[in-house]
Amino acid sequence: MLHIKNLHARVEEKPILKGVDLTVNPGEVHAIMGPNGSGKSTLANIIAGRSDYEVTAGSIDFQGEDIVEMSPEERAQAGIFLAFQYPVEIPGVSNTYFLRAALNAIRKSRGEEELDSLKFLGLIKEKIKSLEFDAAMLNRSVNEGFSGGEKKRNEILQMAVLEPKLCVMDETDSGLDIDALRVVADGVNALRSSERGFLVITHYQRLLNYIVPDYVHVLMGGQIVKSGGKELALEMEERGYGWLEEAIGAGR
Amino acid sequence: MMDTIAQIQSDLAGITFDPSAWPSLRESRERAFQSHKTLGIPTLKDEEWKYTNLREIREDSYKIGQYVALQRDEVSSYLLEDLDPIRLVFVNGHFHLELSSSPSVPGLTFSTLANGVPSELGLLQKIEENTFAALNHATFADGAVVRIAKNTKIERPIMVLNMAVADVDRTVYCAPRTMIIAETGAEATIIESYASVGSRTTFTNAATEIFAGPNTRLEVVKIQGEGLQARHIANVEIKQQADSYLDHFNIAFGGAFTRNDINAFLDGSNISSRIDGVVVVGAEQHCDNHTRLDHAFPNCNSFEVYKHVLSGRSTTVFNGKIYVHQDAQKTDAKQTNQAILLSPEATMNSKPQLEIFADDVKCTHGATVGQLDSMPQFYLQSRGIPKDEAESLLIYAFAAEVLEKISHPGLRDLLEAKLFAKLAADREA
Repeated sequence: MLHIKNLHARVEEKPILKGVDLTVNPGEVHAIMGPNGSGKSTLANIIAGRSDYEVTAGSIDFQGEDIVEMSPEERAQAGIFLAFQYPVEIPGVSNTYFLRAALNAIRKSRGEEELDSLKFLGLIKEKIKSLEFDAAMLNRSVNEGFSGGEKKRNEILQMAVLEPKLCVMDETDSGLDIDALRVVADGVNALRSSERGFLVITHYQRLLNYIVPDYVHVLMGGQIVKSGGKELALEMEERGYGWLEEAIGAGR
Repeated sequence: MMDTIAQIQSDLAGITFDPSAWPSLRESRERAFQSHKTLGIPTLKDEEWKYTNLREIREDSYKIGQYVALQRDEVSSYLLEDLDPIRLVFVNGHFHLELSSSPSVPGLTFSTLANGVPSELGLLQKIEENTFAALNHATFADGAVVRIAKNTKIERPIMVLNMAVADVDRTVYCAPRTMIIAETGAEATIIESYASVGSRTTFTNAATEIFAGPNTRLEVVKIQGEGLQARHIANVEIKQQADSYLDHFNIAFGGAFTRNDINAFLDGSNISSRIDGVVVVGAEQHCDNHTRLDHAFPNCNSFEVYKHVLSGRSTTVFNGKIYVHQDAQKTDAKQTNQAILLSPEATMNSKPQLEIFADDVKCTHGATVGQLDSMPQFYLQSRGIPKDEAESLLIYAFAAEVLEKISHPGLRDLLEAKLFAKLAADREA
């Protein structure tokens, strides 16, 4: 579903990604771990199409199409979803309005009928139940004044409503206490299916106790330096990133 | 005595003073006219008019606006029938009975100056220093009087609609005058709406006096909805007494040239004052808003939010002064002025001024002028919302934030729809 080949990217003049290769198939959950500054968030944002990052070489193939030149909305319409590390506050736009506009934009791009507000409310009611999402938050401005946990839950709600094919989660665990983390993870696990792929980016192994990955990759210095099964996450947690850095350094 | 042509001719060609009108106001009107002649028409050298050029107004020639029997279908969109307002309509400054709807409401006097001049007329307008306020006082043909009796709450919105009707040969001049007097404990929502008919230029020189008595709660919404060729100058003088709450909304979408002076004097303690504005201009529109808040007594607060959206080659001015007098301890004043420039050729001039003579106060001001932030834009796009739509949504949300404070739900919805339409029109242009 997602094939990243030899991806190089920079922000302003600074190279961040230096040749990333990664394949995610439907139904798989891939975790990307790595120390601060390794390029994890850059990778997430580039997949979603943020224009501050420039792809200088390589390709990102999603469902058979190179998406590097696509706008963020085209990627979303194709089925890519980025759960933000820092969800953006948008004063003056109600959460309900936003969610409906997003869903209808995606439906429209697929030639599906747009949902009127009544049908939409029916849909959203069902979705918020499973996420322990306070219905009052629907009428508030998008993320404005939300707690860290509420913001992340709002990301998962959007994911549940938009039903993407590929979910990229950028440090979803950051700023969450253990209860909030569990709720968010439950929301994600409920969305796991054989047709949907996940790319879970995290600094800590903790999240992966709740969202159990099929594959774990370690990103360092803009490259994936080690890949393995879920046990690799535990090893990273136990030994830290330092030993790997040294091991790579020695091998070079 | 004034009788020669030279004596009754203002600095604006065709606008003359009629000494015989309003005999009971003879003295103040003559004084106002003299003051207008002495002050003349300001130039860019005048600090208060630094960014607003009156040349076109100065060099034009005028015809004093006469009554026009406008038909309902010519003005239906301005009557706001959906809100079921209590309404007075003036056409070129003259009362239009058929379009008005002023049922008897207990506690409300809603009438015209011709029916009786309230003793408060002229108490707030600064005719000695403001040439246009002076000219209005000397030239108004009639005006609206809104008086809300003690402890009365008026549920239906009260509306004064001023229509300027263009003529074929010369610019029509009119001088709408509005008196709003809220007695102790009164509560109401008042709409002061300006609109125009016809394709030629009109010049509206409005003056409004708002007396908010002790413990009153007023919402005053001024709508500048005149056509894109209209010129408009308005002087709004507000006096608030102790324990009152007043929110003034300045909705400025229309007009080729608009200048508002909105001044609130907080004449007592425990006053809350809100001075809000939404300015959406495009093409060659120019809109200048000068506001002044005078904190004269302790324990008052004022919050001012002005938002501007500029397209095309439009220009705006925001000049917001907060004056904290020596006795006004524990003043809490906050001013925010924001602008989004959607075109590289649009210009915003921003000038916040704080003058503080008390030592125990909290006064802040913040001004931002710029483009839309990129992160909210990316966030919306990343959810599938097309770039254009995301941009429109964010601009709308930016400006609509001010309208959300309007407590009358029907009026708020109506203004949100007008905002949406104006933003769309500026986008297309």
